[in-house]
Amino acid sequence: MASVIEFDRLAYTHPGAAAPVIENLSLDIEAGSFIAVVGGSGVGKSTLLRTAAGLLMPGSGEMRFNLPQRAGRRRRAIVFQDSRLLPWRTVEANIAYGLETLGIDKAQSAARVAEALRLTGLEELHDRWPHQLSGGQAQRVGIARALAVEPDILLMDEPFSAVDALTRRKLQTELIRIWETTHTAVMFVTHDIDEAVYLADRVVVLGNRPATVVENLQIDLPRPRDRNSTEFAQYVTHLSSWLGVE
Amino acid sequence: MLTRSYSLPTRIGYGIAGVVLFVLLWKAVGVFGWVNPGILPDPFLLPETFLLEWQSDRLLPAIGSSLIHYVWGLGLGAVCGILVGLAAATIQRFDMLQSYVSRILRPIPPLAWVVFAIAWFKVSHAGAAFVIAIGVFWVNYFATYSAVRNIDPRFYELARSFGQGGYWRRSISITLPAIAPGLLSGVRTGIGQAWMTLIAAELLGVPGMGQEMNAAAGVGAYDAVVVYMLTISAVYAATDLLYTLVERRVLSWRP
Repeated sequence: MASVIEFDRLAYTHPGAAAPVIENLSLDIEAGSFIAVVGGSGVGKSTLLRTAAGLLMPGSGEMRFNLPQRAGRRRRAIVFQDSRLLPWRTVEANIAYGLETLGIDKAQSAARVAEALRLTGLEELHDRWPHQLSGGQAQRVGIARALAVEPDILLMDEPFSAVDALTRRKLQTELIRIWETTHTAVMFVTHDIDEAVYLADRVVVLGNRPATVVENLQIDLPRPRDRNSTEFAQYVTHLSSWLGVE
Repeated sequence: MLTRSYSLPTRIGYGIAGVVLFVLLWKAVGVFGWVNPGILPDPFLLPETFLLEWQSDRLLPAIGSSLIHYVWGLGLGAVCGILVGLAAATIQRFDMLQSYVSRILRPIPPLAWVVFAIAWFKVSHAGAAFVIAIGVFWVNYFATYSAVRNIDPRFYELARSFGQGGYWRRSISITLPAIAPGLLSGVRTGIGQAWMTLIAAELLGVPGMGQEMNAAAGVGAYDAVVVYMLTISAVYAATDLLYTLVERRVLSWRP
């Protein structure tokens, strides 16, 4: 299958830093696939994701988008850890934010917002202000905002790490349901191995300094996945060994 | 600090009682002759003075004239202050250019400009408005500047991620709404500051409440002075109420 994004010997050095954070990192993400990126804290997971998002410029190497650019859509959309809703916009106006520069007409934009609200189960909250939402709801709006631009790839930066454990489980289930509906490729950065194994087709482990891909593991488990199964535990154990956690 | 929450009627009741006590104390000072009655007007005679000022066609024209100075001074000062503040906070080269100039000019009290107001505009509405505008300008300039500086940079990152990263796109979708609370609180400070400068600016002879007060004081009509003082207070309260309504509408997104 065609890859949506391809990192080819990518390197990134923070401005003013002597050593690169990422070096010689190559990775292919197939269209429609769900990739989780794990690694110890500070290893460069977020740096990789932010480079993919175009927020950081790679120092060397290449990042290629292999799908043709389509009118009225974006190649990529990001979901932040902190939801990052604009407090002066209602839920639906927040979702429309990325659509305003896509050159699509009002009716089309409204239809996209309605569809994103429906996908994320937020219809009833469409006219709320962000301060009226719970952490989990705010994060759903963040996902809806990213989905509305119909990206080739959804870039998610530890999106569920700030919500409580129960909400996190619900959001994980929801995300899989949405992903199975939209077939948008996902690059999901997390420090939670359990979450990575539950969600992803493939789990990529970043390691070493500067960071490279040290493991790229296919998760061959049918969905919905059973967190209590032996196979699930084996994947978690295997990945944990890479991160030096028992 | 408030430790208990009283009901609205109770709070209003206390407020009115306070005013009544204040007036009675004022009256008592006169009745018991604690001060020379010539320099402290009798509060009970004020309604009569008010009517007299009204009927003699002095009060309303004075209010009208003052409002002209006020509205123009406040409007021009606020608009210019906000625009220059915005430009300084968002365009780095302009910020560097203006940084010493603003530091030199800001400490000059608005009333010090009265000299030039007379030289440039003669004794006119424009002169009074100019003096008011200067004070309002600095208040709004600094409120806007610091509001822009306090915007969470993560919002700009969001703008870049969703195709709104250009200067104008970013300004309209992030900067302006984000600074609205800070900007409006600057405007409110300006509303108060403008009244203070207004009266002083009118003492230079431009028609208005300041001039009427000066004229009344000149003939020892202190009751008329008090009438103008209270009128200023009432007009200010009305302006502030108007402001509150606008703010509630513009900032309805706030908790």
